[in-house]
Amino acid sequence: VWQAIRDELQPRGFELVTVALDTAGADAARPWIERANPRHPSLIDRAHVLDELFGIVNVPSGAWIDEQGVIVRPPETAYPRRPAFLDREIKPEDPPHVAERVRLVKQLRIDADTYVTALREWVVSNRHALPRSEVIRRSVPRSLDAATAAAHFELAQHLVRAGSFDAAVPHFRAAHRLQPDNWTYKRQAWSLVDPTQGPTEHFDGDWLSDVRKTGAENYYPALQF
Amino acid sequence: VLLDRPDLEAFCLASGWELKPEGLCRDEVCVPLPDGADLHAVSKRMGMPLVHDAVAGLWAIGPPAGPHALSSAMAPDLVLPDLDGKPFGLRDLRGNKVLLLAWASW
Repeated sequence: VWQAIRDELQPRGFELVTVALDTAGADAARPWIERANPRHPSLIDRAHVLDELFGIVNVPSGAWIDEQGVIVRPPETAYPRRPAFLDREIKPEDPPHVAERVRLVKQLRIDADTYVTALREWVVSNRHALPRSEVIRRSVPRSLDAATAAAHFELAQHLVRAGSFDAAVPHFRAAHRLQPDNWTYKRQAWSLVDPTQGPTEHFDGDWLSDVRKTGAENYYPALQF
Repeated sequence: VLLDRPDLEAFCLASGWELKPEGLCRDEVCVPLPDGADLHAVSKRMGMPLVHDAVAGLWAIGPPAGPHALSSAMAPDLVLPDLDGKPFGLRDLRGNKVLLLAWASW
């Protein structure tokens, strides 16, 4: 879907750069990328450097960068269209945890129409670009705890890549404790054990419990255009 | 930034900061340091937390603390590989409007 939007806007001086945040590396992202067969740069960020550089705490997140290389909107929730999971109905055969997940997912703040309309307006008529001070102010807070979480997360990822998942767990847990609203740190770690991000012996949290605790409406912040 | 020893030289090598007479410098920024400052002092001075894993013998130094993740609106010079490992620099797109979209397979 992004490909079509990119092709529509590209003649207006626009380019899309997608970045897969994946500790498991290119092979984890490869099936998706090969299916999409993108004509735009499609990059792999095995070390999650983007998280730290731009302040990304969930995916999908999009940042806007202007012709001079200035960020004019910091990362915000970026869906190209209404995702199918918002319209999934609970089926009688769904186990309770699946039913609850379906119910919670429907409460996530996802407003693809607003986002894509604003993107078009930016490309065509420069609307919605924020002043530099506002870009900085709207980027995620980085307390000393959050900065410490980033250091733990970096260690954890290195240890996973080196094949020592057990050694990585305490660092993932520290990152989760120090920056509990960083869904990227959590989802990346959970998914290394269980692709559905359910409860495991390694971590205190899991997708369902944590979203229930935080409130599904706080999972993605409301867009401010 | 990962380090296999907690010293200033290793940090500079890995991070792009440079030790100069006026302090620790990168691009146009210089942070004055007290005489004989070691990595622990630098970590404290810069608000960049230092984390250690004794078993692995590794240290990680985090990004500078707050108030926000972005301290400047200039986009960092990001260079990342594509599926084939070929590096691509964000800088090559100057002159275009760019949507930098982070996603994940998980």
